[in-house]
Amino acid sequence: MTQPSPSTDIRRDLVALLPRLRRFALTLTGSAAEADDLVREAAGRAIQKSHHWKGEGRLESWLFSMIRSTFVDEAKKRRRAEGNAAGDAATSGSSGPSKKDTLACLPDGLASVFLLADVEGFAYAEAAAILGIQPDLFAARLCTARLSLAAAAAETSERRA
Amino acid sequence: MNIPQPSPLELRLSAYIDGRTSDDDRHDVEELLVNDPQARSLHDALKRGADLGRRAFDDMLKEPVPLDLVRTIKNAPLPRRAVRLPQGPRPMLSFKPPGLQAITACALFFVLGGGIGYMIGGNPAVPQFSMISMPGASSRDWLDDIIAHYRLYARQTNHLAEIPAERPADILEWLTTNTGVGFRIPDLSDSGLTFQGARLFAAGGGPVGQLLYRRADGDGDGDVIAISFTKIRPDGNRSIEEIRNDTGLVSWVTPLATYMIIGPSSAADLDDIAAKAAGLI
Repeated sequence: MTQPSPSTDIRRDLVALLPRLRRFALTLTGSAAEADDLVREAAGRAIQKSHHWKGEGRLESWLFSMIRSTFVDEAKKRRRAEGNAAGDAATSGSSGPSKKDTLACLPDGLASVFLLADVEGFAYAEAAAILGIQPDLFAARLCTARLSLAAAAAETSERRA
Repeated sequence: MNIPQPSPLELRLSAYIDGRTSDDDRHDVEELLVNDPQARSLHDALKRGADLGRRAFDDMLKEPVPLDLVRTIKNAPLPRRAVRLPQGPRPMLSFKPPGLQAITACALFFVLGGGIGYMIGGNPAVPQFSMISMPGASSRDWLDDIIAHYRLYARQTNHLAEIPAERPADILEWLTTNTGVGFRIPDLSDSGLTFQGARLFAAGGGPVGQLLYRRADGDGDGDVIAISFTKIRPDGNRSIEEIRNDTGLVSWVTPLATYMIIGPSSAADLDDIAAKAAGLI
């Protein structure tokens, strides 16, 4: 995977990384429209805070963390606005509709774990930090994600047979 | 949704796939994979699941990115950054008179002030106070001259510079002799700027040297950025950062000269370029 070199204008890096940022956002929101809104909001924050980015480590790591924290903030805002009961329903109801069929089988929270470790190639500790969870919990969720995907694959091949 | 917990064996195998097991544990798992068909099947399932997920996620990158999202990011305004520019020397005054001296000075100023006030009051035909504000006005004038020169030459394609970039020794001699300011030609290629040449002109009655650069990449492709220097001092010896007539100007003052970066007001990185140039010139 190509590593964009940090430039003076973060907007160029953001545009270059956009497909991957959207993909990560989709693992959190579950719907493409919400994922785009989330990326738009997080990109705005990243541009405003671009002076905090010192060019150390991977830019994606910083941006993924920004997307995750924006998602958490937005979810809190939505819950506060809609009241507790309605808010819970909205959060759980957001999963699935636009996620790819293969990935829709993953329980909430597992798609982003799988993406960071097996697709983006982050180490457990760094990926866990992006998601704000403990590395042990991250390892357990990654294992569950792989097993869920394997079970889905087996189910599909059985149905075809 | 409740997330099912994997068994310890599944966890060990998953960690083994990622090479996250200790040497001892790795040997144990490898033995297990040879001898235990259930462990082998679980290991294969984990790998199969990882491959399947990877393919599904790779497919997602093939989807087109919404154009409005790209535009929103490309056109988002960059934050203004505080850049520390070199400041002119500030005299350190330590003025702590003893009590008797302070009282004497106060009395003296009172008498002087009263006397001057009496004379002004008794003679209405004094010169107009507008004369006092002339230095400020002249300071604005020479900055306006510098902006006007930039706007005139920045639009030139064939006659941008008086001496082309290929003659750096000529530039150094010509500008140093006429402005009295020693300088180097900064290499600003890191900021995407290519040196085009130099020019000498007059602003506020004093000579000003100007180094001209052209932006070679990015959104402002083709923009001209100029570094000007002169011995003229701005009011209060302070740095200036402002926009006039769609032209941005960032200046800094050293004990020997005043330097300015001039460019289109749309250039968000003038202060950044100023900070770099200040260290190189």
